[in-house]
Amino acid sequence: MIPGFPYVTASRWCIGALALCGSLAACVQTVPPEMVEAIESLDRDLLQLRAAEVAPSEYAVFAHQWVTLRTRVEAEEDTIRWPWEPNDLEQALRDLQTEGAKTVARLTEQQATERHAAARQLAEVEDRSRIIATQVSAIDSRLILAEKPVETDLLLKQARAFYEQGRYDQSLLASDRASRYLAAQSAVLQRELGRYASPDRVAQWQKMARETIEWSKTHRTSAIIVSKAERTLTLYRSGQKVLSYPVRLGFNGIKEKRYQGDGATPEGRYRVAGKRGRGQTQYYRALLLDYPNQEDRRRFLNDRKKGNIPAFRDIGGQIEIHGVDNELMAQTLGCVMLENPQMAVLFERVDNGTPVTIVGALVEHNSVARALANLSPRRDEV
Amino acid sequence: MKIRHVLVSILGMSLLIGGCAQPPADQINAAEQAVKDAQQSGAATYVANDYAKVEGLLAAMKTEVAEQDGKFALLRDYGKAEQLAATAKAEAERVKADAAKKMEEAKFAATQAQQAAQTSVASTLALVAKAPAGKDRAALESIKADADALKASLNDVQMMLDKADYLGAQTKAKAIQDKADAVSHEIETALAKIGKGKTIAKKK
Repeated sequence: MIPGFPYVTASRWCIGALALCGSLAACVQTVPPEMVEAIESLDRDLLQLRAAEVAPSEYAVFAHQWVTLRTRVEAEEDTIRWPWEPNDLEQALRDLQTEGAKTVARLTEQQATERHAAARQLAEVEDRSRIIATQVSAIDSRLILAEKPVETDLLLKQARAFYEQGRYDQSLLASDRASRYLAAQSAVLQRELGRYASPDRVAQWQKMARETIEWSKTHRTSAIIVSKAERTLTLYRSGQKVLSYPVRLGFNGIKEKRYQGDGATPEGRYRVAGKRGRGQTQYYRALLLDYPNQEDRRRFLNDRKKGNIPAFRDIGGQIEIHGVDNELMAQTLGCVMLENPQMAVLFERVDNGTPVTIVGALVEHNSVARALANLSPRRDEV
Repeated sequence: MKIRHVLVSILGMSLLIGGCAQPPADQINAAEQAVKDAQQSGAATYVANDYAKVEGLLAAMKTEVAEQDGKFALLRDYGKAEQLAATAKAEAERVKADAAKKMEEAKFAATQAQQAAQTSVASTLALVAKAPAGKDRAALESIKADADALKASLNDVQMMLDKADYLGAQTKAKAIQDKADAVSHEIETALAKIGKGKTIAKKK
């Protein structure tokens, strides 16, 4: 028997128990739960940033690693390790957390950049669209553009909607398309109306007007000059300006007339071929012009031969200088229209055979030329 | 001699049992097919994040299979790979169902927007028909041109729907509806100003 046996045994048991408790306290979980939560939080951030759509390969790498590691975390959930044991799972999760945080930071910055770019481009294109619409309205040339303004407008609305949904890439694409549509609108206007900004063409029109006034002077009679850009009709008598009235043109009057029904007002030298008084016209009073003249016919046939005018189209006629029937019928399809009191005065002062010269513009810096100049992109946009 | 026979038998049995550990080909194929089905159902578009994770599961499964394949035959254990294949399959099926649901929702929203746009455009065209010529024939012709362009744009919406571009179709339809309403408002204002409109007489 060992002396003091019960005491020694008890002491040994106590030491053993303490050692066991100490060992258990020193044990650690395989992965700290806060690390898993941090990665889950990063995954939510990436979801918010639409990482799978905007950076698919990068997100795929993150997702694959996360899925793999999470499987391991779940498998080793109940495992207790000694603190000195190597823990490659924790290290892998730490690496993933670092990489994930970097991706979140990069995508956040990328999104901010895209948002800024989308907002800037959208504002620029909307601004440019407003400018073009204003200029187009100022010179009544909306119809020349056919469906283009609506298509542009729809694209801008879509770009705005995408922007508000946070789809900046889609917004940029839509506003970029709208920008190209606006460029196409400018190109159409330049092609159709560029002659108004051509010094040579304006010089020709000025010459036509001078010759008409000269004729009036030589023959001591009346002559009419209509300027489409200025929307004015001027009556000369013996080479002297007698009166000048504002006029309205055909609904597509700013264009050069090509065929019946195009709403354009012809340009050229004409004469009054007939006077239509009360009861002879639905437009109060009318001065019938001898459109189409020889030059009009030649141009029409040439255009038709080239296929620029559909075969079923006729050259048209019945172009008049006329008054207004009533508020609801105040319309014209290619004629020159005056208010009734002014038409009454003109009607009295003009005879059959009076020369009527219709020109695009009489000055180089006319309203159409100015509008076309304003359509060109600003220097800082080029 | 007897002991030697016993040992040889035990070794033979072990090899036989160990040699039987084969990759779970059926489960792997099933998982791969499920992921492929999910992808074809538009999961990569409608539930992109979840789909990426399913692909991750598939990749983890393949890695596990490759790892086991690289081990000595007796030590191979495809239990974990089998479990991953089952999870990948189940997740792929869930993702496929989610994608189908989201796609259906997007389609429904786009179709609703298309119908609203069609109604607005029809209303605009009806108003254009009784729009007053007024003093400005050019303005009337412009409104007509706008209404015609809106009508033509409805075809674009249908084309987008046909191509399953539901988000694009929805935004375009909404834009058409807004524009059509604006044009209608313009005509209504003109009608209110002058009262009843009058049909336009043709002239050369």
